[in-house]
Amino acid sequence: MDITRQVEQLLKQGRVDIFLGYKELYGHLIPHGYTLDNLEELENLKVSQHRYSLEKVATHLVEKKPDLKIGIIARDCNQRALNILYTWNQLNPENIETLGVNCCPSKTRKHGDCSYLEPKKTGEFKKENGIDFNAEPEAFMAEFDNPERFSHWMYEFNKCIKCYGCRNVCPVCFCPECSLENPDLVEPGSLPPEVPIFHLIRATHMAGRCVDCGLCEDACPAEIPLRFLYRQMNQIVGDVFGYAPGEGIEKSPFTIIGDKVTLEPKPMDV
Amino acid sequence: MNCKFVPSVCSYCGTGCGVLFEVIDGKINATLPLKSHPVNQGKLCIKGWNLHEYINSFMRLKGPLVKEAGRFQKATWDEAVNHAAKNFNRIKADHGPDSIGVLVSAKVTNEENYLAQKLARAAIRTNNVDHCARL
Ligand code: SF4
Ligand code: SF4
Ligand code: SF4
Ligand code: SF4
Repeated sequence: MDITRQVEQLLKQGRVDIFLGYKELYGHLIPHGYTLDNLEELENLKVSQHRYSLEKVATHLVEKKPDLKIGIIARDCNQRALNILYTWNQLNPENIETLGVNCCPSKTRKHGDCSYLEPKKTGEFKKENGIDFNAEPEAFMAEFDNPERFSHWMYEFNKCIKCYGCRNVCPVCFCPECSLENPDLVEPGSLPPEVPIFHLIRATHMAGRCVDCGLCEDACPAEIPLRFLYRQMNQIVGDVFGYAPGEGIEKSPFTIIGDKVTLEPKPMDV
Repeated sequence: MNCKFVPSVCSYCGTGCGVLFEVIDGKINATLPLKSHPVNQGKLCIKGWNLHEYINSFMRLKGPLVKEAGRFQKATWDEAVNHAAKNFNRIKADHGPDSIGVLVSAKVTNEENYLAQKLARAAIRTNNVDHCARL
């Protein structure tokens, strides 16, 4: 059954109140909420090569109506982000239906439909002074010593225009009060923001949360290799706790407030 | 509950980044960059990201106001335009057309800027036209 009919069924059977997919408007593929009230629009349902965080939209919808049943077109990255949102009680898995779409690598296609799968290009100047988007962490660590790595990161961080796009677009950034806007942590009104603290605050918050969807890096006007940073962060989380964010819906080692920690830290090799 | 996304253009500066408004039950709830827009390619500055805040601001002006006896009073568009025209004519008659200047904006369309300079040159008869980017 094609995806349009599946959505129609979900809506008609009342399994979802709204289905978040895509439609084409003026040549742009944009997200759209399909409901029983606009069933005729369903013929325009599309899978988009552009990725938007539909799960973040879902969190906005349940803010207004907590028991809303929501269907979502989900690639692998959407699914991983959903798992994090379940873990952190931002969405109730019982109220969410997903329809999986092709993602790379899959049986049917070598390449999925999304832009994320095309590796970002890095210019020569950036390679020399900053950080290659596609660098291997081990190679980066081996090539440069500590002060060199610091200067490469500072080259990147200093370009930040403090748009907060990385946080705004991120499916797993949902805090009602964000530390990046706390004047005790980040001095308001200065540009670039206080570096490297601005980026390190976000990096530590992404420990055990970032699902490596790449939306932040796509949204960063300063082309800062944010995924590289958060990936390294989560490599530590993997090494210490054996936890990979988004792979399942088990408790995160960081959900400690008022909760029993279920994941034991492993001994650290020093 | 309904949720749709409406493409638009950021009205804050002349760059003209493409945005998407997230509209939930008729109210703009958030602003996103339009990923397929050729100008900004899925990126925005902090102003663009927060467009919805001024749209929803309670301080937003939703209709014309005319200042009478030192206080702003609600008026209809006809009243407001007549009031402005009357006073422009008075100033022009008393002090000449060059006592008036027209400042246009990067936030409006080319067509609107064209009309504004037309108003300055053809109706008010002054060449005092300038643009906010030069202020
Ligand atoms: S940056 Fe940190 S504080 Fe801000 S929303 Fe994300 S996780 Fe929360
Ligand atoms: S890759 Fe970026 S946007 Fe995606 S989950 Fe990680 S921090 Fe958030
Ligand atoms: S998206 Fe990039 S430029 Fe914007 S605040 Fe984040 S790191 Fe800085
Ligand atoms: S998002 Fe920023 S750069 Fe883009 S048009 Fe708006 S104000 Fe200008």
